[in-house]
Amino acid sequence: MKKKVWLSFTIVVVLLMAVVLFSMVSGSINISAVELFKGLLFGGHEEVEVIKNMRFPRIIVSLLAGANLAVSGLLLQAVMRNPLAEAGIIGISSGANFVALTMISFFPTLFFWMPLFAFFGGMLACFLVYSLSWKSGLQPLRLILVGVAVNAIFTALYESFDYRGYTTTSSVKATASALSQQTWDDVQILTIYGLIGFILSFCVYSWCNVLALQDKTARNLGIHVTRARVVISLIAVYLASVTTATVGVIAFVGLLIPHIGRLIVGSDYKILLPFSILSGALLMVTADTIGRVLLAPTELPASIIMALIGGPFLILLIRRSDRIYEG
Amino acid sequence: MKVKEVTFSYNQTVEQLKAVSLAVEEGKITTIIGPNGCGKSTLLELMSGHYTPKKGQILLDGKAIQQYSPKELAKRLAVVHQKNDVPFDINVERLVAYGRMPYKRFLHSPSEEDEKWIDWALSITNLQTKRKKKVEELSGGERQRVWIAMALAQKTPILFLDEPTTYLDLYYQFELLELIKKLNREYNMTIVMVLHDMNQAVRYSDWMIVMKNGQVIARGVPEDVITGERIEEIYGVKAIVDYREDSGVYVVPIGPCQRDE
Repeated sequence: MKKKVWLSFTIVVVLLMAVVLFSMVSGSINISAVELFKGLLFGGHEEVEVIKNMRFPRIIVSLLAGANLAVSGLLLQAVMRNPLAEAGIIGISSGANFVALTMISFFPTLFFWMPLFAFFGGMLACFLVYSLSWKSGLQPLRLILVGVAVNAIFTALYESFDYRGYTTTSSVKATASALSQQTWDDVQILTIYGLIGFILSFCVYSWCNVLALQDKTARNLGIHVTRARVVISLIAVYLASVTTATVGVIAFVGLLIPHIGRLIVGSDYKILLPFSILSGALLMVTADTIGRVLLAPTELPASIIMALIGGPFLILLIRRSDRIYEG
Repeated sequence: MKVKEVTFSYNQTVEQLKAVSLAVEEGKITTIIGPNGCGKSTLLELMSGHYTPKKGQILLDGKAIQQYSPKELAKRLAVVHQKNDVPFDINVERLVAYGRMPYKRFLHSPSEEDEKWIDWALSITNLQTKRKKKVEELSGGERQRVWIAMALAQKTPILFLDEPTTYLDLYYQFELLELIKKLNREYNMTIVMVLHDMNQAVRYSDWMIVMKNGQVIARGVPEDVITGERIEEIYGVKAIVDYREDSGVYVVPIGPCQRDE
């Protein structure tokens, strides 16, 4: 058991390094790894400079975005006791996206505060989902249906807004839902926000574990269930919103990674959390690299690749693991 | 523990409990019986602090139960529920370790004290050899013991059990009741449980509380509480209540009596 966990971590880390390295050297500019490191160390290599300014931030942002979304999904599933809960599915990402972009189009000077607006949007969506699906307890099916509806509404609002051409150029980046045009500033923002989110999630892992039992049982074990729910949801919404503000709506990471994690390393959040961070980063950077390399110099957005890999993979997983999804 | 004039309603229209008063004596086994929907499980939930009474008070060591923080309450009172959700891959040891949650300090890893009480809980429920097994793979009786072990790891003076024998076959029912008796006699735990089987209630209780329609209609030592007339009154079932040297007081239900309404 323990051995399997260590092995899985090792494999993910090795894969992660391999993909990152591959991603650094390939794309519309191809370069050998040796040249790249020479250029990085001694400077003066024109192509390396371009890669450093264009490709590196993009890789780092996709790593962080993947990790953030995976953890966000993991936390939402714990708190909603629902295997389908994910920021992209129940409307949190689209809520974040909508509010952030409307605010920016009306007040373009407040661009710096975009993550904050996104967070408000995410909170709004999350609050709507909770309050509208609450009927003397959380019923998983109702919650997902309400979430899907909330998602549809925010997506439609956003699209109608976009269609009318209200959005200004400053928000184009986030609407593209791709990872191109990332700068070192984005890296900085996402790193800081992401790290805070990860630290916070490690603080609540034992709550997540106990919430997998019944609410009654959790309460008998001295957990303030409502408070735990609110705190964990806040962390999850925060991670998803901050990411959405930077890279747009990307579905599936938050759904896929926690499920793969549970199948591979089990249901203990102490192990599941770091595993989700690593494999979320891996999946995202892989999807982005494929999108970038496959048809170079044109690009496919990571969200498309993600859905293309994610969809079939999820079906496969669910078919192979009835045990977890019973009842 | 004292329940004083407690009235409670889930939905503001029907009162599940009407001015219920009772006292739980320390170091005794108290059993609540009554027909379905009489409010016995609701009462147990209120007593474990899940709901706030509409009227009245529930006192634990002289202090209203709502005034305890969840953690403080979890150090005084543990509950074993009738039905439980189990994470698919959890093993016995890890589940029982959750019983130490009330003692967990932020960012601290489990102490020797925690280990000691987990070991104790596992040995008393006879689960040491199963500690690495997945809970999911255990038999019904073993699984119920795991939940009891988790409650025991909380190291509380009081233990509540909501119909602990319901899903078990006869052998495991008695095994469980013997365990409960042992906890009471050897470790001086105060036990409050809800039971359906009257014979078991008579055999294993020091004190019985009979409920019907959200009210306590009788209380006392089992021999006094369980009579033919009373069973008819509570359940609408005719029953022979008799005494044998080897079994003590026993009940044989015969069949429904004519209801005139």
